[in-house]
Order: sequence, then structure tokens, then C-alpha cells
Amino acid sequence: MAAAAVGMLGASYAAVPLYRLYCQTTGLGGSAVAGHASDQIENMVPVKDRIIKITFNADVHASLQWNFRPQQTEIYVVPGETALAFYKAKNPTDKPVIGISTYNVVPFEAGQYFNKIQCFCFEEQRLNPQEEVDMPVFFYIDPEFAEDPRMVNVDLITLSYTFFEAKEGHTLPVPGYNSNQQLSPASNL
Amino acid sequence: MSTAMNFGSKSFQPRPPDKGSFPLDHFGECKSFKEKFMKCLRDNNFENALCRNESKEYLECRMERQVPASPLTFPFRQLMAQEPLEKLGFGDLIDGKSDKN
Repeated sequence: MAAAAVGMLGASYAAVPLYRLYCQTTGLGGSAVAGHASDQIENMVPVKDRIIKITFNADVHASLQWNFRPQQTEIYVVPGETALAFYKAKNPTDKPVIGISTYNVVPFEAGQYFNKIQCFCFEEQRLNPQEEVDMPVFFYIDPEFAEDPRMVNVDLITLSYTFFEAKEGHTLPVPGYNSNQQLSPASNL
Repeated sequence: MSTAMNFGSKSFQPRPPDKGSFPLDHFGECKSFKEKFMKCLRDNNFENALCRNESKEYLECRMERQVPASPLTFPFRQLMAQEPLEKLGFGDLIDGKSDKN
């Protein structure tokens, strides 16, 4: 059972670099998964009476010297309606820096309804010295959010992005797993 | 991937985006559309429903632009893969119909 746990933890850690590799070799489009997701977007009906406030956080890991921040503090959306939001990142140093980001959604239970159509996460992003770029996130809240009784009192969802510096041999920490819960192969058998 | 094996606290499992990652708009080619959208948000109390035309225009800008890509990818790639507007949730805005109500 411990082996299965280690295996699943390993698979979770592997998922991000593997996805990165997939994205870099196949480029944009993500056609492997686009099929049913696009159909859902095309046919979904906004639930107009269920307004949700989305707030935005931006963090950088201590070793990354980017200025990274959201361009809006909040946006009001309804389930079933696609929405656009922007972050902005600047490399104030005199050397190119490559960053890679991951994201987190709270409350935890709402995260399953938060669908990103396209964003800037999980893929290396290179900023040249003094370069500043807009970073869009295009997303929607699944209309089924409005039917979930557990979500009845949820009217605030917070999206947090964290950028790390992408280096050789560096693995991206997956949010939600504390470092003191990592299982090393030698222990816990 | 929620399982019976509880690692002590619930954790959020990030998922990759449906259509992958936006390439960076290094030259700010669509910046004016972004500015228009941000201004619309500020003028409308950050209500997304009232600024959907502007967000559609920003994404259309991205779909029309080609940028030289890195050696790892195709010679050119767009700032966003071409996609019919309906599949981006803008079906009701096609033909110039406004959804402001």
C-alpha cells in the first residue's frame, strides 16, 4: 500500500514535467483533449443569476526575480460564461530568465469547477532582460457549479499563480503537498 | 485525483489547461486590445459579462498574429491557435449581436 502511495505521488510529480514536454513537442492546440471540452463550451448556458467573484493572487518563488502581479484585483463572472483575466510579469534583471508557473484555486471544493481553457502555466516562459509581458488566463466556471449543493454558499473563488525559476534538473513543486510529507524510498517500509 | 489515501490534508490538484499555454506576446502585438478590455472592466465594475466583446477581440487578435517560434517548434506559430468563436464561448456575439442587457 505504501508502494502504491509512493507510486501515485511520483506520478503526480511526473505529470507536470511530462505535460511540459508534451506541450513543447506538440506546440499549441492540445488537440488530444480539445474534443469534448470545446463541445461543452459551445453548448453551455450561463447561469446568469449566480454571480461569483474571482480574485487573483500572484507569487514568485524566492529565487525568481520577476515582478509578477495580476492586472485586476477581481472579476465578476457567472458559471458557464468564458472569462479573460490578465497577469503581468517583468524581468528587471539584466539576464534572460525562464520561469514556469503553477496555480492553485481556493476553496478546494470549487477547484474542480474551475476550467482553464488557456493560460500560461506549466510551460516555460522566457523573459529577456527588462522585458515585460501580459499573461492572459482564459477560463470558465463549469455550469454544474450552480447545481452542487456544497457550492451554495461559495461566491468567492481565488486563483493564485506562482512562478518558479526553471532550471536544469529542477522539478516543479506541486501545490498542496507539503515538503515534510514527501516519502523517500528508503523510509516508511 | 482524490483517493482514500489521505496525506493529512486535502490538496488541490492542478490540471493543465484545455488548449495548452498561450505563447508570450513578446512584442505586445495585442496589447491595445488588452488595454481596451482592461478599461472596459474598470468602467464596468469588473463585470465580465459586460466586456465580452472586448475579450473576444483580444483573442481574435491573438489568433491572427504569427510569431517566429523557437527552434523546438514549428517555424511560425500563432499567439493562439485558430478556434471558432463558438468553441470559445462567444457564440452569442457572432454576427455583431450584443449581449449587453
